Amino acid sequence: MKKIIMLALMAALPSGVLAHSKVEETTPANGATITTVPAEIGLNFSKDIRLTRIEMAHEKHSAVSLDLGDQTSFGQEFTIPLPSNGTGTYVIEWRGLGEDGHAMQGEFSFTVE
Amino acid sequence: MPDIWGIATILAKLGLYIGFTGSTGLVIVSCLYSGVVAPINLGIKRQARALGWLALAATVVGFMLRGAALTGGVDGMVDPEMLGLLWQTSVGEVLVYRLVGAVMILVGLSVPRVGLPIALLGGTVALWSFAQIGHVPELESFGVQLLLLLHLLSVAFWVGIFSPLRSMALTPEHLTDAAELGHRFGQTAALVVPALIGAGLWIAWLIVGSLQGLLFTGYGRALLLKVFLVALLMILAAANKLRLVPAMQSGKARAARHLARSIEVEAIVVLVVLATTATLTSVLTLPN
Repeated sequence: MKKIIMLALMAALPSGVLAHSKVEETTPANGATITTVPAEIGLNFSKDIRLTRIEMAHEKHSAVSLDLGDQTSFGQEFTIPLPSNGTGTYVIEWRGLGEDGHAMQGEFSFTVE
Repeated sequence: MPDIWGIATILAKLGLYIGFTGSTGLVIVSCLYSGVVAPINLGIKRQARALGWLALAATVVGFMLRGAALTGGVDGMVDPEMLGLLWQTSVGEVLVYRLVGAVMILVGLSVPRVGLPIALLGGTVALWSFAQIGHVPELESFGVQLLLLLHLLSVAFWVGIFSPLRSMALTPEHLTDAAELGHRFGQTAALVVPALIGAGLWIAWLIVGSLQGLLFTGYGRALLLKVFLVALLMILAAANKLRLVPAMQSGKARAARHLARSIEVEAIVVLVVLATTATLTSVLTLPN
Protein backbone atom coordinates (compact mmCIF):
# COMPACT_ATOMS: atom_id res chain seq x y z
CA MET A 1 0.00 0.00 0.00
CA LYS A 2 2.84 2.41 0.89
CA LYS A 3 4.43 1.80 -2.53
CA ILE A 4 1.14 2.54 -4.26
CA ILE A 5 0.80 5.82 -2.32
CA MET A 6 4.40 6.80 -3.15
CA LEU A 7 3.92 5.99 -6.86
CA ALA A 8 0.63 7.88 -6.90
CA LEU A 9 2.25 10.91 -5.26
CA MET A 10 5.17 10.80 -7.71
CA ALA A 11 2.72 10.61 -10.61
CA ALA A 12 1.00 13.65 -9.18
CA LEU A 13 4.24 15.62 -9.26
CA PRO A 14 4.77 15.91 -13.01
CA SER A 15 7.99 17.43 -14.23
CA GLY A 16 7.49 20.99 -15.28
CA VAL A 17 9.23 24.28 -15.38
CA LEU A 18 9.17 26.39 -12.28
CA ALA A 19 6.32 28.80 -12.14
CA HIS A 20 6.42 32.35 -13.32
CA SER A 21 10.15 32.32 -14.15
CA LYS A 22 9.74 34.41 -17.23
CA VAL A 23 12.87 36.35 -17.98
CA GLU A 24 12.39 38.02 -21.35
CA GLU A 25 15.95 38.86 -22.19
CA THR A 26 19.40 38.52 -20.65
CA THR A 27 22.68 40.25 -21.49
CA PRO A 28 24.67 38.36 -22.64
CA ALA A 29 22.01 36.14 -24.21
CA ASN A 30 21.58 32.62 -22.86
CA GLY A 31 24.04 30.28 -24.61
CA ALA A 32 25.99 33.14 -26.23
CA THR A 33 29.72 32.92 -26.92
CA ILE A 34 31.60 36.19 -26.53
CA THR A 35 35.25 37.24 -26.62
CA THR A 36 35.59 39.43 -23.53
CA VAL A 37 34.17 39.12 -20.04
CA PRO A 38 31.32 41.68 -19.73
CA ALA A 39 31.62 44.24 -16.93
CA GLU A 40 27.98 43.67 -16.06
CA ILE A 41 25.07 41.39 -16.82
CA GLY A 42 21.50 42.42 -17.54
CA LEU A 43 18.13 40.82 -16.83
CA ASN A 44 14.85 42.00 -18.33
CA PHE A 45 11.58 40.57 -16.98
CA SER A 46 8.10 40.62 -18.42
CA LYS A 47 6.59 41.73 -15.08
CA ASP A 48 7.89 43.54 -12.01
CA ILE A 49 9.97 41.41 -9.70
CA ARG A 50 12.20 42.01 -6.70
CA LEU A 51 15.54 40.24 -7.19
CA THR A 52 16.61 38.51 -3.99
CA ARG A 53 19.73 36.54 -4.95
CA ILE A 54 22.06 36.21 -7.93
CA GLU A 55 24.86 33.64 -8.03
CA MET A 56 27.60 33.24 -10.54
CA ALA A 57 29.26 29.88 -11.10
CA HIS A 58 32.37 29.54 -13.27
CA GLU A 59 33.92 26.31 -14.38
CA LYS A 60 37.20 27.05 -12.56
CA HIS A 61 35.74 28.70 -9.44
CA SER A 62 33.06 27.92 -6.90
CA ALA A 63 29.75 29.80 -7.03
CA VAL A 64 29.69 33.31 -5.59
CA SER A 65 26.84 35.66 -4.75
CA LEU A 66 26.74 38.83 -6.83
CA ASP A 67 26.14 42.19 -5.20
CA LEU A 68 22.69 43.58 -6.02
CA GLY A 69 23.79 47.03 -4.89
CA ASP A 70 20.84 49.35 -4.49
CA GLN A 71 18.61 47.31 -6.81
CA THR A 72 16.42 46.15 -3.95
CA SER A 73 13.04 47.30 -5.18
CA PHE A 74 10.53 45.89 -7.64
CA GLY A 75 11.39 46.45 -11.28
CA GLN A 76 11.71 44.86 -14.70
CA GLU A 77 15.28 45.73 -15.69
CA PHE A 78 18.35 44.93 -13.63
CA THR A 79 22.04 45.47 -14.32
CA ILE A 80 24.49 43.66 -12.06
CA PRO A 81 28.30 44.14 -12.00
CA LEU A 82 30.12 40.93 -12.92
CA PRO A 83 33.57 40.00 -11.54
CA SER A 84 35.89 38.55 -14.17
CA ASN A 85 37.07 34.97 -13.90
CA GLY A 86 38.66 34.89 -17.33
CA THR A 87 37.67 32.59 -20.15
CA GLY A 88 35.24 29.74 -19.67
CA THR A 89 31.53 29.17 -19.12
CA TYR A 90 29.65 31.39 -16.69
CA VAL A 91 26.35 30.19 -15.22
CA ILE A 92 24.15 32.86 -13.63
CA GLU A 93 21.36 31.71 -11.32
CA TRP A 94 18.82 34.26 -10.14
CA ARG A 95 15.97 34.23 -7.64
CA GLY A 96 13.29 36.78 -6.96
CA LEU A 97 9.80 37.56 -5.77
CA GLY A 98 6.92 38.47 -8.04
CA GLU A 99 4.51 41.20 -6.94
CA ASP A 100 1.85 38.51 -6.55
CA GLY A 101 4.02 36.79 -3.92
CA HIS A 102 5.27 34.01 -6.18
CA ALA A 103 8.90 32.98 -5.77
CA MET A 104 10.67 32.99 -9.12
CA GLN A 105 13.95 31.55 -10.27
CA GLY A 106 15.92 30.81 -13.38
CA GLU A 107 19.39 30.65 -14.85
CA PHE A 108 21.29 31.44 -17.99
CA SER A 109 24.82 30.81 -19.17
CA PHE A 110 27.34 32.22 -21.59
CA THR A 111 30.88 31.37 -22.63
CA VAL A 112 33.90 33.64 -22.89
CA GLU A 113 36.52 32.38 -25.34
CA MET B 1 11.71 19.08 -11.77
CA PRO B 2 11.32 21.62 -8.96
CA ASP B 3 14.33 22.04 -6.65
CA ILE B 4 14.33 20.88 -3.03
CA TRP B 5 12.57 24.10 -1.90
CA GLY B 6 9.93 23.63 -4.57
CA ILE B 7 9.28 20.05 -3.38
CA ALA B 8 9.25 21.12 0.29
CA THR B 9 6.77 23.89 -0.61
CA ILE B 10 4.48 21.36 -2.31
CA LEU B 11 4.62 19.07 0.75
CA ALA B 12 3.86 21.99 3.11
CA LYS B 13 0.95 22.95 0.89
CA LEU B 14 -0.29 19.36 0.95
CA GLY B 15 -0.16 19.53 4.78
CA LEU B 16 -2.09 22.79 4.59
CA TYR B 17 -4.78 21.26 2.38
CA ILE B 18 -5.12 18.12 4.51
CA GLY B 19 -5.13 20.16 7.74
CA PHE B 20 -7.66 22.79 6.73
CA THR B 21 -10.03 20.66 4.60
CA GLY B 22 -9.88 17.81 7.14
CA SER B 23 -10.47 19.89 10.27
CA THR B 24 -13.11 22.11 8.62
CA GLY B 25 -14.79 19.03 7.13
CA LEU B 26 -15.01 17.29 10.51
CA VAL B 27 -16.54 20.46 11.99
CA ILE B 28 -19.08 20.61 9.13
CA VAL B 29 -20.00 16.94 9.67
CA SER B 30 -20.32 17.54 13.44
CA CYS B 31 -22.67 20.47 12.76
CA LEU B 32 -24.80 18.77 10.08
CA TYR B 33 -25.12 15.32 11.63
CA SER B 34 -24.65 16.05 15.33
CA GLY B 35 -27.28 13.51 16.42
CA VAL B 36 -25.95 10.61 14.32
CA VAL B 37 -22.25 11.13 15.10
CA ALA B 38 -22.82 11.78 18.82
CA PRO B 39 -21.36 8.38 19.88
CA ILE B 40 -17.99 9.23 18.30
CA ASN B 41 -18.03 12.97 18.98
CA LEU B 42 -14.93 12.90 21.20
CA GLY B 43 -12.93 11.07 18.53
CA ILE B 44 -14.05 13.54 15.86
CA LYS B 45 -12.99 16.50 18.01
CA ARG B 46 -9.62 14.88 18.74
CA GLN B 47 -8.97 14.31 15.02
CA ALA B 48 -10.17 17.81 14.08
CA ARG B 49 -7.80 19.29 16.69
CA ALA B 50 -4.85 17.25 15.35
CA LEU B 51 -5.64 18.40 11.80
CA GLY B 52 -5.99 21.99 13.05
CA TRP B 53 -2.49 21.79 14.54
CA LEU B 54 -1.22 20.30 11.25
CA ALA B 55 -2.78 23.24 9.40
CA LEU B 56 -1.18 25.73 11.81
CA ALA B 57 2.26 24.10 11.51
CA ALA B 58 2.00 23.86 7.70
CA THR B 59 0.99 27.56 7.59
CA VAL B 60 4.11 28.64 9.49
CA VAL B 61 6.50 26.22 7.75
CA GLY B 62 5.01 27.08 4.33
CA PHE B 63 5.62 30.79 4.95
CA MET B 64 9.22 30.14 6.04
CA LEU B 65 9.82 27.90 3.01
CA ARG B 66 8.82 30.76 0.76
CA GLY B 67 11.67 32.69 2.36
CA ALA B 68 14.03 29.81 1.56
CA ALA B 69 12.84 29.81 -2.05
CA LEU B 70 13.92 33.45 -2.30
CA THR B 71 17.51 32.79 -1.21
CA GLY B 72 17.94 29.19 -2.34
CA GLY B 73 19.17 28.21 1.13
CA VAL B 74 17.88 27.29 4.55
CA ASP B 75 19.00 30.73 5.80
CA GLY B 76 16.06 32.25 3.94
CA MET B 77 13.61 30.56 6.31
CA VAL B 78 14.63 32.95 9.10
CA ASP B 79 15.99 35.84 7.04
CA PRO B 80 14.11 38.94 8.32
CA GLU B 81 14.61 40.77 5.02
CA MET B 82 13.07 37.91 2.96
CA LEU B 83 10.22 37.24 5.41
CA GLY B 84 9.56 41.01 5.66
CA LEU B 85 9.45 41.19 1.87
CA LEU B 86 6.92 38.35 1.73
CA TRP B 87 4.88 39.98 4.48
CA GLN B 88 4.30 43.00 2.22
CA THR B 89 2.77 40.90 -0.58
CA SER B 90 -0.43 38.84 -0.68
CA VAL B 91 1.58 36.06 1.02
CA GLY B 92 1.53 38.10 4.24
CA GLU B 93 -2.21 38.73 3.96
CA VAL B 94 -2.86 35.03 3.42
CA LEU B 95 -0.64 34.16 6.39
CA VAL B 96 -2.91 36.28 8.63
CA TYR B 97 -6.09 34.60 7.30
CA ARG B 98 -4.63 31.14 7.90
CA LEU B 99 -3.23 31.87 11.36
CA VAL B 100 -6.54 33.42 12.46
CA GLY B 101 -8.48 30.53 10.86
CA ALA B 102 -6.35 27.81 12.48
CA VAL B 103 -6.51 29.46 15.92
CA MET B 104 -10.30 29.86 15.63
CA ILE B 105 -10.61 26.16 14.71
CA LEU B 106 -8.48 25.10 17.69
CA VAL B 107 -10.19 27.46 20.13
CA GLY B 108 -13.64 26.55 18.80
CA LEU B 109 -12.97 22.86 19.28
CA SER B 110 -12.01 23.48 22.91
CA VAL B 111 -15.08 25.54 23.83
CA PRO B 112 -18.19 23.56 24.74
CA ARG B 113 -21.59 24.32 23.11
CA VAL B 114 -20.80 27.57 21.20
CA GLY B 115 -17.43 26.29 19.98
CA LEU B 116 -18.49 24.61 16.74
CA PRO B 117 -19.73 27.80 14.99
CA ILE B 118 -16.44 29.50 15.93
CA ALA B 119 -14.48 26.57 14.48
CA LEU B 120 -16.67 26.60 11.35
CA LEU B 121 -16.09 30.32 10.87
CA GLY B 122 -12.35 29.76 11.38
CA GLY B 123 -12.33 27.01 8.75
CA THR B 124 -14.17 29.28 6.31
CA VAL B 125 -11.71 32.14 6.93
CA ALA B 126 -8.79 29.78 6.34
CA LEU B 127 -10.32 28.34 3.15
CA TRP B 128 -11.07 31.88 1.94
CA SER B 129 -7.30 32.52 2.07
CA PHE B 130 -6.84 30.15 -0.88
CA ALA B 131 -8.95 32.52 -3.00
CA GLN B 132 -6.61 35.40 -2.11
CA ILE B 133 -3.44 34.02 -3.65
CA GLY B 134 -2.37 32.08 -6.71
CA HIS B 135 -4.04 32.00 -10.07
CA VAL B 136 -7.65 32.79 -9.07
CA PRO B 137 -7.12 36.41 -7.84
CA GLU B 138 -5.41 37.11 -11.19
CA LEU B 139 -8.86 36.71 -12.77
CA GLU B 140 -9.92 39.78 -10.74
CA SER B 141 -13.42 38.53 -10.06
CA PHE B 142 -14.98 38.39 -6.60
CA GLY B 143 -17.56 35.92 -7.95
CA VAL B 144 -14.84 33.47 -8.97
CA GLN B 145 -13.22 33.82 -5.53
CA LEU B 146 -16.57 32.97 -3.93
CA LEU B 147 -16.89 30.04 -6.32
CA LEU B 148 -13.50 28.76 -5.16
CA LEU B 149 -14.61 29.08 -1.53
CA LEU B 150 -17.73 27.07 -2.36
CA HIS B 151 -15.54 24.46 -4.09
CA LEU B 152 -13.24 24.21 -1.06
CA LEU B 153 -16.08 24.01 1.47
CA SER B 154 -17.57 21.18 -0.62
CA VAL B 155 -14.19 19.41 -0.69
CA ALA B 156 -13.97 19.83 3.09
CA PHE B 157 -17.47 18.39 3.53
CA TRP B 158 -16.54 15.34 1.44
CA VAL B 159 -13.17 14.83 3.17
CA GLY B 160 -14.80 15.36 6.57
CA ILE B 161 -17.12 12.39 6.24
CA PHE B 162 -14.35 9.84 5.63
CA SER B 163 -13.17 9.20 9.17
CA PRO B 164 -16.52 9.33 11.06
CA LEU B 165 -18.27 7.11 8.52
CA ARG B 166 -15.39 4.62 8.37
CA SER B 167 -15.09 4.51 12.14
CA MET B 168 -18.83 3.89 12.61
CA ALA B 169 -18.97 1.34 9.79
CA LEU B 170 -16.21 -0.68 11.47
CA THR B 171 -18.04 -0.80 14.81
CA PRO B 172 -20.83 -3.43 14.71
CA GLU B 173 -22.91 -1.72 17.44
CA HIS B 174 -22.96 1.49 15.36
CA LEU B 175 -24.12 -0.22 12.15
CA THR B 176 -27.57 1.43 12.17
CA ASP B 177 -26.08 4.88 12.85
CA ALA B 178 -23.42 4.30 10.17
CA ALA B 179 -26.15 3.40 7.64
CA GLU B 180 -28.10 6.52 8.63
CA LEU B 181 -24.98 8.72 8.37
CA GLY B 182 -24.10 7.20 4.97
CA HIS B 183 -27.65 7.74 3.76
CA ARG B 184 -27.90 11.35 4.92
CA PHE B 185 -24.43 12.16 3.59
CA GLY B 186 -25.43 10.63 0.24
CA GLN B 187 -28.50 12.86 0.08
CA THR B 188 -26.51 16.04 0.79
CA ALA B 189 -23.62 14.97 -1.45
CA ALA B 190 -26.03 14.54 -4.37
CA LEU B 191 -26.36 18.34 -4.27
CA VAL B 192 -22.92 19.33 -3.01
CA VAL B 193 -20.72 17.14 -5.24
CA PRO B 194 -22.14 18.40 -8.58
CA ALA B 195 -21.63 21.96 -7.24
CA LEU B 196 -18.05 21.04 -6.26
CA ILE B 197 -17.27 19.59 -9.69
CA GLY B 198 -19.11 22.31 -11.61
CA ALA B 199 -17.31 25.08 -9.71
CA GLY B 200 -13.95 23.30 -10.13
CA LEU B 201 -14.37 22.82 -13.88
CA TRP B 202 -15.54 26.39 -14.38
CA ILE B 203 -12.57 27.86 -12.49
CA ALA B 204 -10.20 25.52 -14.36
CA TRP B 205 -11.60 26.64 -17.69
CA LEU B 206 -11.29 30.31 -16.73
CA ILE B 207 -7.65 29.72 -15.79
CA VAL B 208 -6.58 27.48 -18.68
CA GLY B 209 -8.80 29.06 -21.32
CA SER B 210 -8.17 26.74 -24.27
CA LEU B 211 -8.18 23.10 -25.27
CA GLN B 212 -4.58 23.48 -26.41
CA GLY B 213 -3.56 24.73 -22.96
CA LEU B 214 -5.32 21.75 -21.44
CA LEU B 215 -3.70 19.13 -23.65
CA PHE B 216 -0.20 20.44 -24.30
CA THR B 217 1.01 22.07 -21.08
CA GLY B 218 2.16 20.55 -17.79
CA TYR B 219 -0.50 22.58 -16.00
CA GLY B 220 -3.26 21.36 -18.32
CA ARG B 221 -2.16 17.73 -18.05
CA ALA B 222 -1.99 17.88 -14.26
CA LEU B 223 -5.49 19.32 -14.34
CA LEU B 224 -6.66 16.44 -16.54
CA LEU B 225 -5.10 13.98 -14.07
CA LYS B 226 -7.13 15.66 -11.32
CA VAL B 227 -10.34 15.40 -13.35
CA PHE B 228 -9.63 11.70 -14.05
CA LEU B 229 -9.08 11.01 -10.34
CA VAL B 230 -12.27 12.84 -9.38
CA ALA B 231 -14.15 10.75 -11.96
CA LEU B 232 -12.70 7.67 -10.22
CA LEU B 233 -13.94 9.03 -6.89
CA MET B 234 -17.40 9.54 -8.35
CA ILE B 235 -17.58 5.86 -9.36
CA LEU B 236 -16.60 4.79 -5.83
CA ALA B 237 -19.03 7.26 -4.25
CA ALA B 238 -21.87 6.12 -6.52
CA ALA B 239 -21.21 2.47 -5.59
CA ASN B 240 -21.25 3.43 -1.89
CA LYS B 241 -24.51 5.36 -2.22
CA LEU B 242 -26.37 2.93 -4.45
CA ARG B 243 -25.16 -0.47 -3.18
CA LEU B 244 -23.29 -0.44 0.12
CA VAL B 245 -25.37 2.06 2.13
CA PRO B 246 -28.72 0.41 1.17
CA ALA B 247 -27.21 -2.98 2.11
CA MET B 248 -26.14 -1.53 5.48
CA GLN B 249 -29.65 -0.18 6.01
CA SER B 250 -30.79 -3.80 5.61
CA GLY B 251 -28.45 -4.72 8.45
CA LYS B 252 -25.64 -6.34 6.44
CA ALA B 253 -22.43 -5.94 8.47
CA ARG B 254 -20.32 -7.16 5.53
CA ALA B 255 -21.45 -4.17 3.45
CA ALA B 256 -20.25 -1.89 6.27
CA ARG B 257 -16.78 -3.48 6.12
CA HIS B 258 -16.75 -2.99 2.33
CA LEU B 259 -17.78 0.64 2.82
CA ALA B 260 -14.86 1.15 5.23
CA ARG B 261 -12.43 -0.29 2.62
CA SER B 262 -14.01 1.86 -0.08
CA ILE B 263 -13.56 4.98 2.08
CA GLU B 264 -9.86 4.10 2.57
CA VAL B 265 -9.39 3.90 -1.21
CA GLU B 266 -11.31 7.18 -1.62
CA ALA B 267 -9.04 8.84 0.96
CA ILE B 268 -5.92 7.72 -0.95
CA VAL B 269 -7.34 9.05 -4.23
CA VAL B 270 -8.22 12.35 -2.51
CA LEU B 271 -4.63 12.52 -1.20
CA VAL B 272 -3.36 12.24 -4.78
CA VAL B 273 -5.89 14.86 -5.93
CA LEU B 274 -4.65 17.23 -3.21
CA ALA B 275 -1.00 16.52 -4.12
CA THR B 276 -1.82 17.28 -7.75
CA THR B 277 -3.51 20.51 -6.70
CA ALA B 278 -0.52 21.49 -4.54
CA THR B 279 1.70 20.99 -7.61
CA LEU B 280 -0.69 22.85 -9.90
CA THR B 281 -0.74 25.86 -7.63
CA SER B 282 2.97 25.83 -6.80
CA VAL B 283 5.30 24.95 -9.61
CA LEU B 284 3.50 24.42 -12.89
CA THR B 285 3.35 27.30 -15.30
CA LEU B 286 -0.02 28.44 -16.55
CA PRO B 287 -0.55 28.13 -20.29
CA ASN B 288 -0.06 31.52 -21.98
